[in-house]
Amino acid sequence: MLENIIEILNEITGADEGEIQPDTELFAEGVLDSFGLVQLLVALEEQGAALDAAELDRDAISTPEKIAALAEQAR
Amino acid sequence: MFILEKLAQYARTGRTAIVYGDDSLSFAALERRSNAFARYLLDTLADDRTPVMIYGHKELSIPACMFGCLKSGRGYVPVDTTFPPERVRQIAAQVQPKLVIDLAGAGVGAPVVLDADALEAVLAAPAEPVARENWVLPAQTAYILFTSGSTGTPKGVQITAGNIAAFREGVAPWFDLDVDGGRFLNEISYSFDVSVCALYDALSRGMTLYTVDKTTLGDTKKLFAALRASDVDVWVSTPSLAEICVQSEQFTNALLPHVKRFVFCGEVLTKKLAAQMMERFPGVPILNAYGPTEATVLVTAAEMTRDMLQSDRPTPIGYAFSNVTARIVSESGEALPDGEAGELLLLGESVSPGYFGRPDLNAKSFFIDEKTGLRGYHTGDLCYRLDGLIYYCGRLDSQVKLNGFRVELEDVENNLARVENIARAAVLPVMTDGKVTSLTAFILLQSPDGLSALKRGQKIRAALSGVLPSYMVPRKFVALDAFPLNTNGKVDKKSLAALL
Repeated sequence: MLENIIEILNEITGADEGEIQPDTELFAEGVLDSFGLVQLLVALEEQGAALDAAELDRDAISTPEKIAALAEQAR
Repeated sequence: MFILEKLAQYARTGRTAIVYGDDSLSFAALERRSNAFARYLLDTLADDRTPVMIYGHKELSIPACMFGCLKSGRGYVPVDTTFPPERVRQIAAQVQPKLVIDLAGAGVGAPVVLDADALEAVLAAPAEPVARENWVLPAQTAYILFTSGSTGTPKGVQITAGNIAAFREGVAPWFDLDVDGGRFLNEISYSFDVSVCALYDALSRGMTLYTVDKTTLGDTKKLFAALRASDVDVWVSTPSLAEICVQSEQFTNALLPHVKRFVFCGEVLTKKLAAQMMERFPGVPILNAYGPTEATVLVTAAEMTRDMLQSDRPTPIGYAFSNVTARIVSESGEALPDGEAGELLLLGESVSPGYFGRPDLNAKSFFIDEKTGLRGYHTGDLCYRLDGLIYYCGRLDSQVKLNGFRVELEDVENNLARVENIARAAVLPVMTDGKVTSLTAFILLQSPDGLSALKRGQKIRAALSGVLPSYMVPRKFVALDAFPLNTNGKVDKKSLAALL
């Protein structure tokens, strides 16, 4: 799941392979904004891991590994 | 002006005009504070009618300043904090304001600059209503909104009090709800003209504006807490905001039990979103509306129906308002029959007198119709009409709508070309379901920088953020060794699009 999320993030942001790490701070480092986040959520939903946007705290989804943990639970 | 009369009327009731977080402002306070500001302007600026610049976000003091300007016979220029100080200074260089309200430290030079504390002292001063002879007249400028210009500097659309009156008259049937008071979503930045729906229509109906600021919009958990608390009757937003919301199953009529109408505008409403909204909010009308800033907020609207969503056509942008003439013409200016696409021309009382200080642009974009004497505007939008409904097919130039904001791609390109080590730039919209979802910039570097894509992107983003509003900064930056050129030697955007 984690690799999958990083792959989606690379696609959304145009990052090179290996640049976004499991612990990259996505919002603090300006990798993702709220519209980018929506693209990520849509992509995850298409893969059967729908996260409820209403319950997503910025802190709880600040890195790929945190998002992966939530997505695992959602599956 | 209708709104100013209504403010005085509702000031005699106990109604709340605006809610923002734990703070709120009654109609009585809004009336009193706008009177105080009008009196201050008359005393300070006397006969000088230069518009007042207001730099801030959704502060409760801003509407009092706007209405105070109108009561004192002058317009205002609202500039949201999404505009960086450099862009604000470019606007100030054009407007040459005598008075600036600076709630966010833009550092604009003007004879009088009021920060938040100084402004509070002005607004809190006791004041009698100013005489009506001072109010702005229908032909005078009420506000100037600065929007993306293709040269890389923003251009200001002047809107008169008469334009606003025409807008209210045109939109009235669509906002006329059988409620006394009620609540209206107020999340749109004041430098985007859709906020005029809240300020001039909702307040004049005695509704309460429920404010959602950009910090809340940027954090979905906070956003949902705010929406739950809002209990709005009317929702006006860009489709992009609803697209964020439908990412939660909580976005249903259980979250907004009293909502009576959704109005979407500012960009393409996809069929997918319209269908989701109908499903989540059964029985609540979902409206798609359209209008360029130059013709005052909105000029067409229609309620979305199941038939429209099942048809092969795009979602219609609506029927022209009763006081707006919409013409679809060929390149040579001939009226086109139904079903044929051409440029949409808008004529009527809501058409702006023109761009501020830009006779060159005005001659190209605005005209007086010889037959009717009506003022007209070339929208640059490619449209066709069938059975009275107008359908949007795209732009005739390189302007795009991103999350409701108007962006001239050349504006971004020109500013990118000024960034250190960038030789050339081409910016392309990324489309999903027929709607622009982000911008990608292709760049040629002057010399190799040894940076990774993400690091280079962060560096360019930081530089651009100093000169462009945040919504104009591309999400992706792709460095190329060479640009594909077409036979004219221009950058071949079609080939670049294949790289998206």
